[in-house]
Amino acid sequence: MTVENVDKPVETSSFAQPTRVQRIVDHLKREWQIYAMLIPLVIWLLLFLYKPMYGLQIAFKDYSIFRGITASPWIGFEHFHTLFGSEQFVRALRNTFIISFYTLVFGFPMPILLALMFNEVLNQWFRKSTQTIVYLPHFISSVIIAGIVITAFSPSAGIVNTVLGWFGADPIYFLTKPEWFRPIFIGTGIWQEAGFQSIVYLAAIAGVSPTLYESAVVDGASRWQMMWKITIPSILPTILIMLIIRIGNLLEVSFEMIILLYQPATYETADVVNTFIYRQGLQSGQYDFAAAAGLFNAVIAFILVMGANSISKRYSRTSLW
Amino acid sequence: MAGVKLESIVKRYGAVQVVHGINLDVDEKEFVVLVGPSGCGKSTTLRMIAGLEEISDGQLTIDTRVMNRVAPKDRDVAMVFQNYALYPHLNVADNIAFGLRIRKESKDKIAASIKEVSGILGLTDYLDRRPADLSGGQRQRVAMGRAIVRDPKVFLFDEPLSNLDAKLRTQMRAEIKRLHKRLGATSIYVTHDQVEAMTLADRIVVMNDGRIEQLGTPMELFLNPANTFVASFLGSPPMNLVKATLGPGENGPTAHFAGQSMPLAPLDALQNRDGDEVIVGIRPEYVDVATAEDATQVQVNLELVETLGSEALLHATLAGDPFVIKAETQGNAAYLQKVTGFTIKPEMLRVFDAATGHAVPGQDRQAA
Amino acid sequence: MANMNLYSRGDRMFVWLNMFLIGVFALSTLYPFIYIAAISLSTGFEARAGNVVLTPVELTFAAYKYILVEPAFWRSYLNTFIYTIGGTLMSLAFIIPGAYALSRPQLYGRRFWNLMVAFTMWFNAGLIPFFLNFRDLGLLDSYFGIIIGFAVNGFNVILMRNFFEGIPQSFEEAARMDGANDFQVLWKVYVPLAKPAIATVALFCIVSRWNGFFWAMVLLQDQDKVPLQVFLRHTIAKLSDDQEFSDTLFTQAYSAETVTAAIIVCSIIPVLLVYPFLQKYFNKGILLGGVKE
Ligand SMILES: Nc1ncnc2c1ncn2[C@@H]1O[C@H](COP(=O)(O)OP(=O)(O)OP(=O)(O)O)[C@@H](O)[C@H]1O
Ligand SMILES: [Mg+2]
Repeated sequence: MTVENVDKPVETSSFAQPTRVQRIVDHLKREWQIYAMLIPLVIWLLLFLYKPMYGLQIAFKDYSIFRGITASPWIGFEHFHTLFGSEQFVRALRNTFIISFYTLVFGFPMPILLALMFNEVLNQWFRKSTQTIVYLPHFISSVIIAGIVITAFSPSAGIVNTVLGWFGADPIYFLTKPEWFRPIFIGTGIWQEAGFQSIVYLAAIAGVSPTLYESAVVDGASRWQMMWKITIPSILPTILIMLIIRIGNLLEVSFEMIILLYQPATYETADVVNTFIYRQGLQSGQYDFAAAAGLFNAVIAFILVMGANSISKRYSRTSLW
Repeated sequence: MAGVKLESIVKRYGAVQVVHGINLDVDEKEFVVLVGPSGCGKSTTLRMIAGLEEISDGQLTIDTRVMNRVAPKDRDVAMVFQNYALYPHLNVADNIAFGLRIRKESKDKIAASIKEVSGILGLTDYLDRRPADLSGGQRQRVAMGRAIVRDPKVFLFDEPLSNLDAKLRTQMRAEIKRLHKRLGATSIYVTHDQVEAMTLADRIVVMNDGRIEQLGTPMELFLNPANTFVASFLGSPPMNLVKATLGPGENGPTAHFAGQSMPLAPLDALQNRDGDEVIVGIRPEYVDVATAEDATQVQVNLELVETLGSEALLHATLAGDPFVIKAETQGNAAYLQKVTGFTIKPEMLRVFDAATGHAVPGQDRQAA
Repeated sequence: MANMNLYSRGDRMFVWLNMFLIGVFALSTLYPFIYIAAISLSTGFEARAGNVVLTPVELTFAAYKYILVEPAFWRSYLNTFIYTIGGTLMSLAFIIPGAYALSRPQLYGRRFWNLMVAFTMWFNAGLIPFFLNFRDLGLLDSYFGIIIGFAVNGFNVILMRNFFEGIPQSFEEAARMDGANDFQVLWKVYVPLAKPAIATVALFCIVSRWNGFFWAMVLLQDQDKVPLQVFLRHTIAKLSDDQEFSDTLFTQAYSAETVTAAIIVCSIIPVLLVYPFLQKYFNKGILLGGVKE
């Protein structure tokens, strides 16, 4: 055959092409199964997470069970006025921030410290077994943890009072004392989660190039110096991201644990927004009022999360989700 | 078996058009190689044939059926991927049988097919192994086996050898050729390696920037590149391209460059064009080297001699541009160090229009 | 960081100090469990008197005998198994196909669908609307309600989707050329390849189901349907101010404390049994997989 020179540009053709509609039909014919896989998930999301968002309107309504969500009359911001006039709610809001703040201050550095310390352990057996132990409480339910706390701090039988007794102190009824609630709650949280949270930092440390340490050894640096000059600067981005995440989730106090540990005597320092909502809404049936508190909470949380996400995107070019 | 016909095939991603209307007629049992630089649209074209990408415009026919809107599984084509895409959780036998099982073939037929295909490819001893436990060449063979076992109308290959080292690549290249001889299946093969293209193809399609630059048998393309792109793409080392001006000479048209001149073949198209710019293509293999004692036509500045054994590559400059010569050593590489120029027969040159890059008509040589 | 012999004196001291501190932390983590186990095996009198510190005092299994004959305990144990197994399977049934679809480039509106999942992680309507919705759907007090109502969680979907996205597209294409439809591609190719991610998600589900308490307490009134955690909570609350227990203190070998401790031990044991498997996955930092888009 002869050599064809097909260099002329052909931009369009005379062949009939399927229309846009036909292409979509073709696509669905060929890919319908993908949509069939997606649909259950979407329906679930709509039914269990998005429908409640529609239900949030009761925060602006005088909701009654008999009329239902849609038919209940609008009352504007009345619930919010009541809310901010309510001493209990303001107290709950304050407690939420205080507890979150202390949890952050005392709870945040702990896993970093643990990771740095684990990193110095050369004995693999020791390291593995201690890691196994400190991760464990993360997997234990809050009911059990609360049960342990209640037992350990009980005035007559509890080990804490037993030990205090050795030093001649009178037993303290810890869980009924408002001033003890926060230390116990925050301490329990750290005890339960610090070990597990250290995994993130250990992973970051594992990613540091060994050549950095090798050259430091050649330069005669001590382990302490290497920790400050190499390890910590290397994991600083991870630390910052985790900090941003934590600030984004500032309002997420583990209220389940609070419900398990608090009692009317300690509401003063223990009651947070979600426990307030739980009591007002689910226990006393003031759904609309409690929903208003929940909406307020959700909006603040959303702003915090989005703010945190955009900050982390800007500074680390990795978004959190 | 069946032919494949591409008519004005276009691919657009949104507003960006990456394939600009490809016309190609692959005959039954033919082995066609698409070759071109990275990003020129080879894979895209192949994937449109496979049905993995939608065709934006034009018409694709396999056998006699228009395939534009047919799902990949109904096109009866098989594809070998660059990364093989062997299922890591299945052993070799199950990898090969995957397509047959999906198509609900009978157990006996599947067993027989596995036996036959593994026999052809020399995989009989590895049927129980997982892909992770195979060598690169064996994986490559399994990938081929997965295609062969389906006995498709058309085989498509997307750079199937590019993950192998040079030696294995040569070996597998031969094996693919042997398989094609044996099975006689219509095949379309994508590569950016021009050696693979030259050795495997019945016909080569040289693509550039979403268009076909030239299409023909390997020898046709090698002897008669239609333009400077094809000239510089095929052959290793590729054709030297020397800018020159047409001028008068003793025996008809002559190319002048940097104070030197070279007689050209007396083509009609070169008559009465004195002063026009041309590009003279000189295959490194076609020159006869000369030293200061010999009569030389063209002087070059020799810079480096790379001895490859029976052959040597002479890296020189001509008018400031790199110029490569391939010469036989004939056991005397020292001689090559003294090269100062070369002679070449006018009919071994290829002249391109400098403005368009197209070959000047009338100079095609007959492939033997 | 290989050999301690190469360390200087100061470095060695530093390492030993670290090991000491870690040891202290690990022991303080372990101690409460040992303490509870010791209480559960002591007599009620000794426990109540605060004499149990590390080991059982006057070893007895009375508290276990008390709890193990309690039908409600076994009922709630069974319920927890139902919720855990049913819930985990339900989660996988929604998450695997859904995440696969979200990972496919050919899906129309892919960004929108992904945003729909991600948004639920940023904003949720809160306790009350969720509860009212549950009630309106008629799912209160039902096994099915608990199992389906908590099947999906955005984090797990995204973790799964990211894993699917990391599997080269050519596997899908190869399977398609081989004639597989999307269900077959997912089931025969992607699911086997995604085993580590599926195991991780399954473990997340198992742990959260096994430990789930709050919503089970809120959504289940029927005591025959409550899971172990709720039973546990009721019992702990009941025991701590039960007059019967104070009265029988001197006649029985058990007390509120020892029975509570025994229930705690009984419900931790399954967690300890699967914990080694959990370890394997969480140590690899798979948990990080979900933290980026
Ligand atoms: N999904 C896509 N969206 C937009 N452009 C794309 C897409 N896929 C490919 N392209 C573009 O189409 C062009 C052709 O790509 P193609 O993969 O066909 O190249 P190729 O010739 O196979 O190159 P290589 O030798 O590197 O494999 C490239 O410029 C590429 O950037
Ligand atoms: Mg390609």
